[in-house]
Amino acid sequence: MFIIVVGGGKVGYYLTRELIEAGHEVVLLEKTRARAITISDEIGSVVLARDGSEGSALAEAGANRADVVAAVTGDDEDNLVICQMAKHHFAVKRTIARVNNPKNELLFRHLGVDEIISPTRMILGSIEQDIPVHELLHLADLGGGDLELIEALLAEGSPAIGKASADLPMPEGCTLFAYIRADRAQPVRAETVFREGDKVIVIGPRDCEDALHGTLIGTEVEAGAV
Amino acid sequence: MNDTRHAPIRRIVVSVNGASTDPLVVEYAATIAKPTKAAIVVLHVVEIDWTLPLDGSAAGLSEEAQRILDIAEASAERVGIRLEPVLLKARNVGAAIVDEAAAQEAELLVLGLPYRTRFGGDFVMGTTVPYVFKNAPCTVILVREPMPEDGA
Repeated sequence: MFIIVVGGGKVGYYLTRELIEAGHEVVLLEKTRARAITISDEIGSVVLARDGSEGSALAEAGANRADVVAAVTGDDEDNLVICQMAKHHFAVKRTIARVNNPKNELLFRHLGVDEIISPTRMILGSIEQDIPVHELLHLADLGGGDLELIEALLAEGSPAIGKASADLPMPEGCTLFAYIRADRAQPVRAETVFREGDKVIVIGPRDCEDALHGTLIGTEVEAGAV
Repeated sequence: MNDTRHAPIRRIVVSVNGASTDPLVVEYAATIAKPTKAAIVVLHVVEIDWTLPLDGSAAGLSEEAQRILDIAEASAERVGIRLEPVLLKARNVGAAIVDEAAAQEAELLVLGLPYRTRFGGDFVMGTTVPYVFKNAPCTVILVREPMPEDGA
């Protein structure tokens, strides 16, 4: 596979190195000349000292035949421009962007970036899994963000406690599909009766969060809770 | 410090690129090789830009590369030596020369530099020669073309 990595920071450097070790053909674009030379000295002549947010640089890097373009600079605006150019000007099959500010994720999706990696969101998710900051925990996006995977902790006062799955008034488009009890994940069946402390996994559209909160948590939803 | 003055030279890599210095480089390498009967590998690297796959066909480039190697072999025949031609395709000529010198376990690498100046008179070294000087594992000899009589 031929992959163009844009951004020679820590992420770009290690990504390039791993991809080369995995046997892929890789070219790294790094706009700071001194940094490009340093990386080139360490991993070989796969580095172009060019600004990947310029079309001419992507062309020189061979975007016309690239299978993947990964924009991993520390600048969201640059990453968006790089992916858009790769997608629309060079018809690259798959674009991957690093998004530093989670608030930009939706914009990246709407503008056609195929895959979004948000280190901030990942760390936040990891922290929330251990110490739930909100009762509804966003686990992952599915199908380009149309659906999401949500975890709900059934704490004291939840209207779902003591009820069978089939009796819960689930919001339109939401499906209960698993629950975790005593660290063991199990599929939800119609007769499954929920207990306090259960973690329930739901698939549903983004706009069902408020209704889902009412069904599983039972209190008023806080603004921006998930 | 290691004293390498008397290290026997058994294998020489000569880099040619179709420039006017090629015959000069081959003849110079032959002069060094003859007393010790050292083998000479003549290397030409075709630089392929990133818009093309490295393993794809480089139509037109191969014929030109072969012509460059043929000229080098003809120069060698004139001074009575035989060459082992090697043709490589790479993204970076300097890196390919260094890698090949290492792979061939050459004791000496010889390359040429035409006498060129920029507008304004500054001498042009290019990027390959400094790269090879910095990274080659063996002794490197650079054969610079004589300065033109008009002073470049």
